Amino acid sequence: MRKPVQVAATASALALVLAACSGGDGQDEDAGAADGPVTLDYWAWGTAQKPMVDAWNATHPDIQVKHTDAGGGTDSSAKLVTATRAENAPDVAIVEYNTLPAMIVAGVAADISEHADGLESEFAPGVWNQVTFDGATYGVPQDAGPQALTYNKARFDELGIDVPTTWDDFAAAAEKVHEADPDAYLTTYAPAEFGGFAGYAQQAGAEWWTVDGDAWTVDFDDDASVAVADYWQDLVDRDLVLAEPMLTPEWNAKVNKGEVLSWPAGLWAAGVLYGVAEESAGDWAMAPLPQWTEGEDAVGFQGGSAVVVTSSAEHPEAAAEFARWMSTSDEAAAAQIEQGQYPASLAGQELTLESDPPLLMPKQEDYWEIAAEITKNTIPEISWGPNVNVASSAFQDAMSKAVTDGTPLRDALTATEDVVVADMEKTGFEVTQK
Amino acid sequence: MSPATASPATAYRRTRRRWGAPALFLLPAALLFVAFLAIPICYALYLSFRGMRVSGGGPFGVREETWVGLDNYVTAFTDPEFLAGFGRLAIYGIIAVPVTLGLALTFALLLDLPRVRGARFSRTAIFVPYAVPGVVATLLWGFLYLPSTSPGTWILERLGLGGLDVLHDGMLYPSVANIAIWSGVGFNMIILYTSLRGIPGDVYEAARLDGASEWDIAWRVKVPLVGPALVLTGLFALIGTLQVYGEPTTLRPMTSAISQTWVPLMTIYRDAFTRDDLSLAAASSVALALGTLVVSVVLLRVTQKRSFGESS
Repeated sequence: MRKPVQVAATASALALVLAACSGGDGQDEDAGAADGPVTLDYWAWGTAQKPMVDAWNATHPDIQVKHTDAGGGTDSSAKLVTATRAENAPDVAIVEYNTLPAMIVAGVAADISEHADGLESEFAPGVWNQVTFDGATYGVPQDAGPQALTYNKARFDELGIDVPTTWDDFAAAAEKVHEADPDAYLTTYAPAEFGGFAGYAQQAGAEWWTVDGDAWTVDFDDDASVAVADYWQDLVDRDLVLAEPMLTPEWNAKVNKGEVLSWPAGLWAAGVLYGVAEESAGDWAMAPLPQWTEGEDAVGFQGGSAVVVTSSAEHPEAAAEFARWMSTSDEAAAAQIEQGQYPASLAGQELTLESDPPLLMPKQEDYWEIAAEITKNTIPEISWGPNVNVASSAFQDAMSKAVTDGTPLRDALTATEDVVVADMEKTGFEVTQK
Repeated sequence: MSPATASPATAYRRTRRRWGAPALFLLPAALLFVAFLAIPICYALYLSFRGMRVSGGGPFGVREETWVGLDNYVTAFTDPEFLAGFGRLAIYGIIAVPVTLGLALTFALLLDLPRVRGARFSRTAIFVPYAVPGVVATLLWGFLYLPSTSPGTWILERLGLGGLDVLHDGMLYPSVANIAIWSGVGFNMIILYTSLRGIPGDVYEAARLDGASEWDIAWRVKVPLVGPALVLTGLFALIGTLQVYGEPTTLRPMTSAISQTWVPLMTIYRDAFTRDDLSLAAASSVALALGTLVVSVVLLRVTQKRSFGESS
């Protein structure tokens, strides 16, 4: 009795599978019926987005925007790729600069060059370069994250530390801090901070991905990157920096106790630190990032994002108009600044000069002047590759392993490069490993 | 469908009478099985032979899905990190499975003793951790493990013994396994305890008349009689081990010692969602599922005769 029932169940299961597989996808949308107001779907994260979208909807009755928070940078990008393949992606979305190339090759971001007249002059060259590839424009920059040094000024003063202007000074300061207070560290070397390391290496002159014609060149272990790795190696070996993950309960506790004194990272660091150490607000300040060579002033980016029109957009022109407004209008910039985002547009940055400093450093009156100065000096030529996601995850594992096992940090760069090149070769890109 | 002769018609009617009711009762389960198991499995199999490749060329060529044959399987089986994940899984399993089952059996036997006091309270207390969601349990233990937030470290420091970093080196595996053990003992204990309660009392009576002590009864009567339940819990524990994911993933941001490929399922997650390589993830999943099936069948075969006798 038992066997035949099983057979019957299997047979009906199979029949259902076949029925499900052969079903047509019945996709006939009424594309022509767009007489009334256009509605755009917009995916974006962060507290600044809602007030910005509200401001747009209030002034643009013909193009109404529906905002969805689909998660932070990594989650949102992963969902965009899946949604694009399922042909139900939103019309407009926020994408981080370093994942934009990946979004282009995944077919998510559409070329909006024809809607981008006069847009270039609204941005500093370094920022504009983040959204143009091969002469085509794929997005409108919304916020920028040039690297700076966010530090605990109260503790610096207490231990008699001067704000370092070069990385050599920074190393000396690390030594002094640890000597004065054995529990305290000047900063953290978090092995999983891909974006941070990328910024330091870019500042030193590294170019991890370069395009020449149709071919990519990948070089993660160039002289500049290796020098940066060796620099941190020395600090880690001498126990002068805290070599552990950041933003863990452990790390947060140390920041609150004043045992982690600074964080060289994107300008948004002030907001993050305020989130984990609100009680120490007022102790902190921001200064330009230390330099590899005395007297220079270039810095790299860490974070920042652009508004892209997706390949699924049914009304690309309306979508592009919205993207432009979100990144260049005064109303949008004001909403960003209020929420602590640093606008990417020159007009928006101008507007910050009349604003209050961020909540973490209410006493630092010249915060926005310094920010504007730093942004002017960002490196104009930074190019991210089509598989930053692969690079970032490989880097995190390789660096974490190096720190845990005590193997050279520079070897982690080579290991990352091998993974990145193998992935690009497999996908079918023309690539040279250096 | 009108039958031409009488005899097939009778056969048909008889068949329908025999199949009508079972088929009707099977339908809901069959539908669910097909929708949520058969179709996804077929799709995963299909995906595992596909891959995203650049079409059109150029530095920003768009990737499209194409047929890649066995490429994904070759990649999965030649990836040293994916394979090393199984090694780490083995170390984890060697700690987690025997300790979980051992503790569960011990608690079940203790609760089953005659004249035991506070049995109901103890049973609930041992079972409660199972009701705590895995991620919550891991975060909870994570706070207990990290030196700055751990009361253990605080006490050790007051005693002048210095802190203990349990998320590195040799302590990592016991620390991760501990979370699963803490959550899993209760569930297994309930299964074994229920099985113990099912043993007829006259068996014990006979043993006592023969002069057996409680220790003898536990060891020589109870344990052999709950054999089938032990095999069942063992199988669950083994499958649970192969599917370890939540604990190490939740602990990962807290320590550099756990990589994104620490166990096979983490590698699969990374490939699917971080590296955007669904096909490779599908191939690895198929391999992992087949492996689990083989291990389960072997375990059942080996233990079946001993525990279930010939009754099945």
